[in-house]
Amino acid sequence: MMKTTFHTIFCLAFLLLSPADGRASAEAPTPGAWSLALPGWQYRFPADHAIHPDYKTEWWYFTGNVVTADRKEYGYELTFFRQGVLPPGQRRAPVQDERGRSRFVQGDFKFAHFAITDLGGGQFHYTQKSSRGAFGEAGFGSPEQAAKPFVWLENWQLASEPDGSWRVTARAAEPVPMQIDLLVASQKPPVIEGTDGVSQKSTGLGNASHYYSFTRLATRGTLAVGTEMKAQLVTGESWFDHEWASNQLGTDQIGWNWFCIQLDDQTELMLYAMRRKDGTVDPVSSGTYIDAQGVTTHLRFEDFQLQPLRTWHSLKTDATYPLSWHVTVPSQAIDTTVSARLDDQELALPQISYWEGVTAISGTRAGRRLIGHGYMELTGYTGALAGLKAKDPAGESSLRTSPR
Amino acid sequence: MVAGATARTHKVQLWQRPADFARKLAQVVSSTMTRQFPRLFLWHVARHARRHKLLAGLNVFSVALGVSVYLAIQIANHSANQSFAASIDLVAGKANLEVRSPGGGFDERCLPKIQAAAGVKAATPLVEGYATLPDYPGEYLQVLGVDIFTNLPFATFSVGGPTPADAENLDIDRWLGDPQALAITDEFARAHSLKLGDALRLQVNGRQQSLVVRSLIRLDLTAAGRGNSRVAAMDIGWAQELLGKQGQLSSVQILLDQPRDAEGVAAGLRPLVPADATVSAPGQRSGQIERMLASFELNLGALSLISLLVGMFLIYNTIAASVVRRRVETGILRAIGATRFEVQCLFLTEALLFGAIGVTLGIVGGVLLARFLIGREIARVISTLYMLVSVDRLHLTPLLVFSAYFFGLGSVLAAAWLPAREGANADPVTALSLGLGATRDQSRLHAPRWLRWGLLALGVALAASVLSLTTGPAWLGFGSAFFVLLGFAFTAPAVTSVASRLLERLVKRGPGTSRGGRTLGSGVLLRLASQNLHRSLHRNAVIIAALMAAIAMTVGISVMIHAFRRTVEIWIDRAIVADIFMTPSANETLGNGALFPPEVLDGLRHDPRIAAVDTVREVGVTIRGDRVSMVAVSGDNRNRLAFVGGHGEEKQRAFYLPDRVLVTEPFAHRYHVGEGDRLQIPTPEGPRDFTVAGVYYDYSRDAGIVAISHDNFVRHWHDERVMSVGIYLKNPATLDDTVDHLRQAYNPHGEFLIFSNRAIRERVFEIFGQTFRITGVLRAIAVVIAVVGIFLTLTTLVTEREREIGVLRAIGASRGQIQGVVLTESALIGLLASFLGMLAGLCLSLVLTFVINKAFFGWTIQLTVPWASVLATPIWILLAALAAGWLPALRAGRVPIAAAIRSE
Repeated sequence: MMKTTFHTIFCLAFLLLSPADGRASAEAPTPGAWSLALPGWQYRFPADHAIHPDYKTEWWYFTGNVVTADRKEYGYELTFFRQGVLPPGQRRAPVQDERGRSRFVQGDFKFAHFAITDLGGGQFHYTQKSSRGAFGEAGFGSPEQAAKPFVWLENWQLASEPDGSWRVTARAAEPVPMQIDLLVASQKPPVIEGTDGVSQKSTGLGNASHYYSFTRLATRGTLAVGTEMKAQLVTGESWFDHEWASNQLGTDQIGWNWFCIQLDDQTELMLYAMRRKDGTVDPVSSGTYIDAQGVTTHLRFEDFQLQPLRTWHSLKTDATYPLSWHVTVPSQAIDTTVSARLDDQELALPQISYWEGVTAISGTRAGRRLIGHGYMELTGYTGALAGLKAKDPAGESSLRTSPR
Repeated sequence: MVAGATARTHKVQLWQRPADFARKLAQVVSSTMTRQFPRLFLWHVARHARRHKLLAGLNVFSVALGVSVYLAIQIANHSANQSFAASIDLVAGKANLEVRSPGGGFDERCLPKIQAAAGVKAATPLVEGYATLPDYPGEYLQVLGVDIFTNLPFATFSVGGPTPADAENLDIDRWLGDPQALAITDEFARAHSLKLGDALRLQVNGRQQSLVVRSLIRLDLTAAGRGNSRVAAMDIGWAQELLGKQGQLSSVQILLDQPRDAEGVAAGLRPLVPADATVSAPGQRSGQIERMLASFELNLGALSLISLLVGMFLIYNTIAASVVRRRVETGILRAIGATRFEVQCLFLTEALLFGAIGVTLGIVGGVLLARFLIGREIARVISTLYMLVSVDRLHLTPLLVFSAYFFGLGSVLAAAWLPAREGANADPVTALSLGLGATRDQSRLHAPRWLRWGLLALGVALAASVLSLTTGPAWLGFGSAFFVLLGFAFTAPAVTSVASRLLERLVKRGPGTSRGGRTLGSGVLLRLASQNLHRSLHRNAVIIAALMAAIAMTVGISVMIHAFRRTVEIWIDRAIVADIFMTPSANETLGNGALFPPEVLDGLRHDPRIAAVDTVREVGVTIRGDRVSMVAVSGDNRNRLAFVGGHGEEKQRAFYLPDRVLVTEPFAHRYHVGEGDRLQIPTPEGPRDFTVAGVYYDYSRDAGIVAISHDNFVRHWHDERVMSVGIYLKNPATLDDTVDHLRQAYNPHGEFLIFSNRAIRERVFEIFGQTFRITGVLRAIAVVIAVVGIFLTLTTLVTEREREIGVLRAIGASRGQIQGVVLTESALIGLLASFLGMLAGLCLSLVLTFVINKAFFGWTIQLTVPWASVLATPIWILLAALAAGWLPALRAGRVPIAAAIRSE
């Protein structure tokens, strides 16, 4: 009926965090309004795996590198988003009275992205889903309840297993049939990103998110892709991010580059650089180094360097992405090159597109050879984002971008 | 007499068959003379048209007028259908299947089951409702509650802004989160100077709600080329709450994996949806609507053809006039070797040429007429009687244009055939010899033979009536009406002939001559006029027939409307008994769509002045594939219905027993259901059998109504809501006070229509008047055409009789006396036509009332004749005839004697 690319706009929403252009940070939170991510947050697990409905935006983000017994390599991405619609003060009781309130009026809407990179075949497949969950077809539950999904959008689900691991499942028919059914078990305790409970995204109190990760998840299960849909046993490593916020970015920011790096010495790196309109990197950008035992070190902007080496031009969106990077972390004596394993891992969704894909890492730590794998996310490279921002000269635009 | 013999010989040629015509056409095409034909034609036609601009103009005008009325009605009908189709396209443009309940809503909980069903590729829910706009009286919006998460594959319009780029920019948070966010069409926004951010007050179910225009809808017209600007969209959740449809869906639109397997998937879906919901292709709904409107539109279509028929008489007259004026010319043509056939071709081609111009002008006129007069009337009548429609766009399709040319030129050809033959058969010797001309225009009509044809036509009319009522098909009723008109038209020559002879005899014996002395006294005047009437039977009979047809239509329709109205009055006395009626005012604009707020109903029931409150609820139900109105009524005060077959009280009591319904007479007629029969009605619990407790007279819906008691309705539909109430006062003397009180208490912003008993009767007749206004327009046009016909005929006759007039003047008749003869003839034409017209009209009213109404609508109408207005017909027709004869009379008076009698 309606031709609006409504749902294509949803894919934006994971980039949309701020209802106001930084002004909110200066204002005291009003009762019933969205909560801001403020310093001092105490993480509690497993409770914090569940939703935080007082925040406008939230996501559960899985990326991973897996391989079959006959060495066929795949990458996967499965991401669940929640976008709040009614702020806490207007939220309604979940019970629907048939003559009273409409079940279609939900406090939030849900959407998800699912992508598989077939490295052997040189193919990248991606799709998305959205729902308001009026009939419970999408929703959130308790992560403490085993064998029941606690985040789900129809048959794309995240569930706790009795042994404490999680089960990640998704099945799609289009653009090509593809399916994952993976058990992920964390090798390390959760990593709190940022400092004092917040990951700062732009200057100003509350322009931040609450953000933690599982940086190395042992992964096994099945993966199928292509018309035959033959389920193949796979093993590998995944990365999980969970982030919630209401208000993050400044008006001068247009996107970000984000890296997760799993090195073969059992250490990991998470790095992000907030990109500003003028081409510079916002000094709030930061990262985390996780050693083999799971001990974390916060990396400030000046603690690491990201230098683009090679770009790739997308014919679909006319965007030019830097796909190879020289990454150095002097404090850890890390000097590596991070390169896309496949150029076209762009999710060219209508209105907004971003690049999210498998990377290979090779370099040295203190002169010793160091290799690894990971995922890279590049946003704000398509013209459309600027166009969207320009639509609202009053500055009321809710289209703000934020990295994880 | 010489003329009689000539008439007989010509008669044979008059009726040459089309086969002969075709053969001759072939001959002529191959002959050498034909090469001259275009030049000849130009000379023949162009010169004449230049000389007689008025005649040429009238020729074009008569075709244009007939075609205008015909086309305007066709356009209006077609546009109304298109408008319905557009509203269906809008919600179901791309769907393969649609789940919908005729009652307007069904339980939303079936949606996930539908979405998960085998064969279903995509399914999106919809909530629909109507709202009136207090700030724009008479305006309304169809509010569509859409689910943006599932509706993308069904897109027929986009929300956002005026350009496609804007459409992408919808503020999704606000759309989902703001209960006031509304999208309206840019067309509607422009028409009412609304812009983004403006507040818009909506009145829904008797409550006012304030909304804000947050985005604009662009209709995707490329798909269907049609659209409805009175549509607004909002999120389905807020729409449910706005429209009071929480928990309910109006429809679910479905796309299939295999569209060809629609029937299979539909069968699989039926067990999943509530029992009163239907699963079918959206196209079937437009079929239902078309069926519902078919009778109404057929009626109008038949009326519009009558305007063409009357136009034909006019064409006959103008061609005849031009044939008479060119007798000498024709004689010359024949003398220099043109064949009869070629002369006939000349006249026919001329008629077709003028006809083509007339049809072209008529198409323009039809569009204008549809736009400014008829279109709106028809939309209003359909909205009142059937379902809400607003005709934004008029649809002129190539087929309609073609049909206008086909019927227009066809009628021109048919009407011009006889005069053209007459012209062709002009004997060159007679035509060129001036002296013999005066005797030429004697009647060539064989009155008795026409009379036989007429009686035969009336017989056919009777047979068609009987067939229409017994075996069907119903449209035979129109055939009957046509043959009534035709039959009376055929009797015109005989009646005219007999009447003029009677008059002559009367005048001979009358005082005019017995007193003697005055050679050209009033008696002689009358005698001359009646002689003229008879001598020019071939002209006068035709104009009398034309005028008769117009009068018959007027009388017939007047009588039918009068009888209908009288019947409705009697019905209202029984049906409308409460003291005060109250309904959400949206029902005025929307038909029955808005619900009565329960708290107001509660308040009324507890009001000390009020003795009782009856309630009415109307929902649609699907019976045998048609959407039929079902009315749930409470309170035994409300209706003292009149039942077919009597025993009213007994049947009324039975009505309140479980599983009983009543049906109206049109319903019983349409579905062949009688008292005591079982009627299966789909309810939300599944199909249930109800016993028909009685058939009652009702004139509110031609599609019929099923009436059910409120208790029975609630038992099966589990829905207590009502749409309007009837209030009975403890003390009727407090009527005005109570109405004022109700207005103040419940109606500060015009949320309700509150009618006293008297006011609602007036309102009913207002609607009644609206319904028949369109017939009034047609009637007026028919009479205008007929009066123009008199003018034309007399002009022709005066031309034909110039020599005779000259002789009269030469032997002493004054100018005034000549004028008197012409005016008297005109008056006689008017009187004879009135006489015949009244007779035919009464017969026609019998057909309209007892055959067409009964066969199409199943209404029993008590025939009452408005004698006063019927008997007044001759008076105003006489005046019209005298007015029409005025110019020809003046012209006759000015005939120069010397020139006229040059040849004598």
